[in-house]
Amino acid sequence: MVNEKLYAGAHAPFWHNGSSIRAKSYNVIMAALPAALMGIYLYGVPALRVLALAVSSAMIWEWLVNRVMRKPTTIGDCNAAVIGLLLGMLFPATMPWYAVILGTLLAIVVGKQIYGGIGCNPFNPTLVAYAMLLLSWKGLLDFDAMLVNYDFGVNMVYPIGALKHFGPEVIEEYRLTDLFMGRQAGAIGATFGLGLIIGGLYLIIRGYIRWEIAVSFLAGVFVTALLFNAANPAKYGGPVFHLLSGYTLIGAFFLVTEDSSSPVNFVPMLIYGAGAGFLTVLIRNVGFFVDGVVFAILMMNLTNPLLDKIRPKALGRRIDYA
Amino acid sequence: MKGKDELRLAYGLAFVLLLIGVLGYAALPPRVPDQPVRMVFKNKAGQVLFDHKEHSSPLGYGYRCEDCHHDIEEEGERPSSCGECHMPEDGNGLGRSDAFHNLCQGCHDQSGLGPVDCSGCHVL
Repeated sequence: MVNEKLYAGAHAPFWHNGSSIRAKSYNVIMAALPAALMGIYLYGVPALRVLALAVSSAMIWEWLVNRVMRKPTTIGDCNAAVIGLLLGMLFPATMPWYAVILGTLLAIVVGKQIYGGIGCNPFNPTLVAYAMLLLSWKGLLDFDAMLVNYDFGVNMVYPIGALKHFGPEVIEEYRLTDLFMGRQAGAIGATFGLGLIIGGLYLIIRGYIRWEIAVSFLAGVFVTALLFNAANPAKYGGPVFHLLSGYTLIGAFFLVTEDSSSPVNFVPMLIYGAGAGFLTVLIRNVGFFVDGVVFAILMMNLTNPLLDKIRPKALGRRIDYA
Repeated sequence: MKGKDELRLAYGLAFVLLLIGVLGYAALPPRVPDQPVRMVFKNKAGQVLFDHKEHSSPLGYGYRCEDCHHDIEEEGERPSSCGECHMPEDGNGLGRSDAFHNLCQGCHDQSGLGPVDCSGCHVL
């Protein structure tokens, strides 16, 4: 009995499969590019400068923190660049420079490095920074006020805000194809649904994000919005509108799937994603904030360690030797 | 790619993007069209997003400038800001809140177009 093979493994030397944090970061950046480029196409140089400043300042903050803490320089893995890019994509194109730089400082220092760097952060660093900016300067993230001088020839009221303030009858003023193709007021990189879905599918296929989290998040948003809509169609918007507006799609593929702050086991991933989707719609429909994605994901980040206690059953059977 | 190459690439990327960002902010002034597209009126009851283009464009409601900007004396003259005369808490003359309510709500009421309820315009 004691000689029975319980575990089989290969002997050294091992062969590295080539994966690295740098490769992952490059792939995430590549996947986010379609949506980011659409933002630059729609808003022009203002969007480009926000994204450029966000990425570069995030890398510089990371480098500075490495120097101050006397740790190896980690900007080569480009994780800071990813955080900066995603934060920039959540901003309006008219975001002032100081808010961009402060945002990346909060993301890199308060969101990530203060906990020990990559892999140690309990919350999504991008969303920590966004939430702090939103609570401190609400007006800077008010898309209606920030984009007053832009006109794409469609209804330029921020769709998810219009739904919250004026009710579901405003949905008729938006064409779903416009929302899907990015012809709506909103953040630089959060409005081009097609680009975000293509990028998200690419990351899922390459194995850089877990489909369980992304799909369960979208399902959570869809089902919750459907239930609200079915309960009171005169007050709550339909699920497709919720999916194509606000931060839903960038949240599903680029934010809720962040490695360090999301669970690793199958059932916890489903609960985590669905919970974030449920809270998103709950905040949108009955909460204070216009969009619920940011706070919904941050709240589910809190539950991550608890959820990962739900573990798969260990292989094999118990043997009593005594 | 080795560690040093990774770092060099990251430094290069950060430098180039920083340059684009700084130049973009320094060289490009804020976008201000000849006529406002939309305007946000901030107030205690909740801000109002006013679609100036929709009201003034011939494809929209087609109102002339002087229909609302009553201080225009000659055609092509640039109107002064409403808040220059209509102060938020003005003891003399029409206050800002009354001026806007009379103009916006009055016109919506008369024409039967546009919201007249508070929540139709004011957003918290």
